[in-house]
Amino acid sequence: MLKRVFSYAFLTIAAIISFFPFLWMIISSTNKSVDVTKGRLLPGSYFLENLSNLLETVDLVPALMNSAKISITTTILSLLIASLAGYGFEIYQSKAKDMVFNFLLLSMMIPFAALMVPLFRMFGSISQTAPFIGIDTFAAVILPTVTTAFLIFFFRQSTKMFPKDILEAGRIDGLTEIGCFFRIYVPTMKTTYSAAAIITFMASWNSYLWPLVVLQSPENQTIPLLISVLGSSYSPDFGVIMTAIVIATLPAAFIFFIMQKQFVAGMMGSVK
Amino acid sequence: MKKVLALFLVSILFLAACSSGSSKDTSGETKDSNEITVWAWDPNFNIKAMNLAKDAYKSDNPDLEIKIIENAQDDIIQKLNTSLSSGTTKGLPNIVLIEDYRAQSFLQAYPDMFHELTGTFNSDDFAQYKIAPTSVDGKNYGLPFDTGVSGLYVRTDYLEQAGYTVEDLQNMDWKKYIEIGKKVKEATGKHMLTQDPNDLGLIRMMIQSAGSWYLKDDGKTPNLAGNEALKVAFETYKEILDADLVKPISDWSQFLAGFNSGDVATVPTGNWITPSIKAEASQAGKWAVVAHPRLPGVPESVNASNLGGSSWYVLNVPGKEDAADFLAKTFGSNVEFYQTINKEIGAIGTFKPAADGEAYQAGDDFFGGQKIIADFAAWTEQIPQINYGLHTYAIEDILAVEAQNYIKGKDLDKALEDAQKQAEAQVK
Repeated sequence: MLKRVFSYAFLTIAAIISFFPFLWMIISSTNKSVDVTKGRLLPGSYFLENLSNLLETVDLVPALMNSAKISITTTILSLLIASLAGYGFEIYQSKAKDMVFNFLLLSMMIPFAALMVPLFRMFGSISQTAPFIGIDTFAAVILPTVTTAFLIFFFRQSTKMFPKDILEAGRIDGLTEIGCFFRIYVPTMKTTYSAAAIITFMASWNSYLWPLVVLQSPENQTIPLLISVLGSSYSPDFGVIMTAIVIATLPAAFIFFIMQKQFVAGMMGSVK
Repeated sequence: MKKVLALFLVSILFLAACSSGSSKDTSGETKDSNEITVWAWDPNFNIKAMNLAKDAYKSDNPDLEIKIIENAQDDIIQKLNTSLSSGTTKGLPNIVLIEDYRAQSFLQAYPDMFHELTGTFNSDDFAQYKIAPTSVDGKNYGLPFDTGVSGLYVRTDYLEQAGYTVEDLQNMDWKKYIEIGKKVKEATGKHMLTQDPNDLGLIRMMIQSAGSWYLKDDGKTPNLAGNEALKVAFETYKEILDADLVKPISDWSQFLAGFNSGDVATVPTGNWITPSIKAEASQAGKWAVVAHPRLPGVPESVNASNLGGSSWYVLNVPGKEDAADFLAKTFGSNVEFYQTINKEIGAIGTFKPAADGEAYQAGDDFFGGQKIIADFAAWTEQIPQINYGLHTYAIEDILAVEAQNYIKGKDLDKALEDAQKQAEAQVK
């Protein structure tokens, strides 16, 4: 009994702590900037005013569209590539396999800050021959993030629990290797794909440093960059900033909520 | 196999569709001779000033298209550093705004990337303290823009309650400030100022008023141990804390809230805070600005200092001649233009001939009719000229830690010596 009381008390406190910033963001979006800085914790009546100020000062909708285009493309491409790679690593046997995989994991250890300048140089020189994937294009934002060692690792781990006998059955029934992947593996691993989709979409939606560096023109701005611009002033309007953040959070939150069930299942392993 | 190939092709098409859409938008950015871009921060100040400059220039030179892009200051630094260190000029603007404290680190690290402006404007026309940070080896690279001239913003109503008038605060030193602060605290219960322990702006203003800095004149050697002005500044800082005059804060929004909600009696800072002070309209008539306090017992210290301030730089990319001409004809020489930006946004430039104009002589009712612009302009000319050097913020990070140690009881000379050692190891 006492143990239960303690665990409930602990969980309640933890829930409040993790939920508070979110709540504060929503409350602040309904208050005037001065009240936000004073730390007002009651909902106000300035949401619509903040919203109209926001729409007046920045091009919110194009930035949302840019973010959506980048995130959706990144998610589709990286899911396809990473799942194929993870599948390949687990299903097919080769002596070099483990070495290649370890090498891949090693690339996870390099911080992005160290890769940024060389990457930028690369895209800088691509710009001269193929400007459509060079600096200041969405392709330049998407391409470096479509294959992440983490996702490949994630898919390989999940594939470990995939019953390989089904593949044998498929092969006997005349499926090609690619057919096995698309007709058997993909439908079975739906939950893994959902979890991976959420992770990738969120990372891409919130990604800041690389888009900041590589996107130069305001027309290409993504949502996090736009919010950063809102804070560029000597006396920023915090109410407007909070409103922008609320709007930026909505799509990611929405996707998370509709896929939540699959996400949890996917994180625990898709095949039971 | 065919299927996968098809899927790949579709994805790549999708990717290409996304990117071609955007590259069309930006194809105008191929820097043909009649378009230049500008990066700056703060829509109410720098961006607005740039827009006014654009208007002023347009009447005589209608052909030049000027595109002003707003970025946060930290973002500009990040973008510049990445582009310049990778040697890629693609996407760089023609004109960029850089804070004076950081300018030397850019100019010296990437000497070929900046376009020399010597001769496009008369450097004698500008406040002398702005010339050192914007030039290298006597060559001008930056066109000085706003002054960070500092003053002490004071709440006259709180002072009155403590039995003081604004006259009592003119040209005082920090000793007197503390003395007044104690009385004000007694009479009103209000703190004198807010202070973020990680932001030593106050120390920077104190030492610049004595013509000293974290670095020696060469801009590279740390100047902490044995720096008399710095020592007095730290002692004063501790006295202010010990007298309980400080309301501690941890970020910019709390700094703004401190004076907007009437929690503090004074704000020692740069003149660029004026619009934020005036944002709380209910406090109209309750504020005044007096000269920045000087350091007690330091004969070189004057009643004028500086916090922040920035200048325009032209990057060495196609379009640089146009960009330099644009700057020279607006920020570099146009007295009328300075009157406009002063009237419209309260910006105080460092262009001396502008100080005689009518806008500079106007009184401000929010400050009880005080001619604050004229006062700031007068103080600007007294700011001691120093070389901010390459490592202002790197050293400040070290000093902030040692300042805490000193406040907790560490011997000051020891603290500064330790800071000196760390700084020397880091900036080598």
